[in-house]
Amino acid sequence: MANRVAIVGIGQTFHKSKRPDVNQAEMANEAVRAALTDAQLGSKDIEAVVSSNMEPFEGVYLPDHWMASEMAACGKSGFKVATGGTSGASAVVEAFHLIASGLASTSLVVGFQKHDTGDTQAGMTACMTPVFGSGATTGAISEFANQALVYMEKSGAKEEHAAMVRLKADRGACRNPYAQLKLGLKGVEEILSSGYLEWPIRILDFCPQTCGACALVLASEEIAGKITRKPVWIADTITVHQEPFRAGSFGDPTGLETYSQDVASTKLYKRNGITNPRKDIDMAEIYEPSTWEEMMHYEHYHFCDENEGWKLIEKGITAIEGEFPVNPSGGVLSTNPIGATPVIRVAEAALQIRGDAGEHQVTRDVKTAVATALGGCNWTTMILLRRSL
Amino acid sequence: MTKKLEELEAFVVEGKVAIPATYSAGTVGSRFLIEMRDNKRIMGMRCSKCGIVYVPPRSTCESCFDKLDEWVEVSDTGTILTYTVACQPSPVLPAEPPVIYGIIRLDGAGTGFVHMLGEVKPEELKVGMRVKAVFKEERTASVLDIKYFRPLK
Amino acid sequence: MEKEPTQEYIQVKIDTPRPYRWSTGKYLGKLYKEARDRKKLVTNRCTKCKELVYPPQMVCGRCKVEAGQDWVEMSDKGTVVQYTYLIFPRWDPHRGEYYSSPYPSATVLLDSGLYLRSRLEEQDTKKLKRGMRVQAVWKEKGRGRGQDDIEYFRTIEELEVGK
Repeated sequence: MANRVAIVGIGQTFHKSKRPDVNQAEMANEAVRAALTDAQLGSKDIEAVVSSNMEPFEGVYLPDHWMASEMAACGKSGFKVATGGTSGASAVVEAFHLIASGLASTSLVVGFQKHDTGDTQAGMTACMTPVFGSGATTGAISEFANQALVYMEKSGAKEEHAAMVRLKADRGACRNPYAQLKLGLKGVEEILSSGYLEWPIRILDFCPQTCGACALVLASEEIAGKITRKPVWIADTITVHQEPFRAGSFGDPTGLETYSQDVASTKLYKRNGITNPRKDIDMAEIYEPSTWEEMMHYEHYHFCDENEGWKLIEKGITAIEGEFPVNPSGGVLSTNPIGATPVIRVAEAALQIRGDAGEHQVTRDVKTAVATALGGCNWTTMILLRRSL
Repeated sequence: MTKKLEELEAFVVEGKVAIPATYSAGTVGSRFLIEMRDNKRIMGMRCSKCGIVYVPPRSTCESCFDKLDEWVEVSDTGTILTYTVACQPSPVLPAEPPVIYGIIRLDGAGTGFVHMLGEVKPEELKVGMRVKAVFKEERTASVLDIKYFRPLK
Repeated sequence: MEKEPTQEYIQVKIDTPRPYRWSTGKYLGKLYKEARDRKKLVTNRCTKCKELVYPPQMVCGRCKVEAGQDWVEMSDKGTVVQYTYLIFPRWDPHRGEYYSSPYPSATVLLDSGLYLRSRLEEQDTKKLKRGMRVQAVWKEKGRGRGQDDIEYFRTIEELEVGK
């Protein structure tokens, strides 16, 4: 019989585009201290530490070795996880496994990335199998640009809808003290007159490169109640893989992520009695690297029918005060330290369940939330959180 | 057209990964490097709870997890804890082989400090030998502002 | 009153390229050989599901069995399914330099039924269209990098009017 696992501490750094005042270890340490303070625990109360970081983007390999002190990991079990964009979610899943299995009763999860160090897109291009696949790729952006074009033609979505997604994200970020990009955008016209990054993706359609870290403290049911009055339960997790960024090896190249997101959400919903996602789940924090991706993800995660994703944003259904809020924190579009980003998704969803999200708390009462992560090898991780099990 | 696996040729592709990176030393690291560049001083960080003096300095104690801010100057002279000699050429070696690396406990420090040893032949080295830092004339806020450690006469 | 000295932050730059020697293995190695020696794209067809496996490899991802040695030569003509063009200067880590700009790339559906990602020759971005017909143009010199031996895909005919 598996133990139940709850999130009992949440902490993150104030995310910025550059942090010359700290090295990588010190930056992660800020989030670790914040999470321990939130949980009112000391480093000696932590039995395991699972960290998450994508090394090629900083060129510091095995960072968990040189920052064991700063991660409160000296003498503890646990390890570093690097699974592309899903690294942080994989770390949460791993810590969840440790406690659910009874191998530990508390665990720290710390995701971090200091993007001011290296060239992220070059790092991603280098991640692709070097003997194949790097010729036509200019990092992840070209993949998303390709998909955006097809989505526009297939679904009828317009550039205005992508601009509306950025507007929603910016409104959330301006209310979130930790978010990096607070642009104060006034309307879609401002966005539609901005420049392109890789057509049709504008600079404002894409996530930033961020220096940031996020940490969570997980605990078993036995002691969660002693630590906090507001534990957030990890009800379920799922990870689904598919073939990597190879055009069409699995059929239609336009739906490269559809397969893993569709399979993951279908299975997760089925085994948790979720038949109407927008009704049975109260909000979502999803990993959307671009505005176009967010609309496509609404469909892939079955928040709406195919080709209807842009309608959700047009009708304001996914806004903070909407019927089904998505990314009220500003999402990945406002803050993206890759190794930390999925941990931030889980943290923000947990804050919503606790009612502790401050100015970006959604109007709807959040009893159930889902956090998702998207990996560079096109795999998907989803984590289901509940106020009570 | 079918072929037996043995008849196929396996390629080895020569390639490279070139991604320029800029590392932040951080506030603590910067002070350590700046003190060496401007004042030829080696600084450490002391944990008042555990009494450990970290060289190079860190901002968190690995033992008690306290936040550290007590700077102390340590000596430029210390004792060899261990050493090794890199004999084979490699693109990452800072000089032509043989390059002697040592772990040195500077007087006043509680940790070992990795650096190179110079003005000495490998066969003359001994654990416990006393050595002193030799600073470069032109320094750039780098750990290599110390050229090497040489034996105290 | 003494002025507070401004904090100086030290940044350490490291930009040494790291050399690697990557083994293709025998399956991918055949793609490399045919591309280098005969300017042809080849791949294997899974002996179980009969679908083309691209790039050629030992295991068919769908069937999870050994894909086998049924090699097929691909057409070098195809249709553009998706395209994009890079505007912002981007760093290519494998060459250690910036990509040219604009850098149009596309997903091409080869007439053999396989999708392939590659550069496009057409630099006038207004002429790029989904459905345009293209043909591979091979590098004359310096082949030996598998699919990257294709320099780019050249537009060969316009879209039919009214289609």
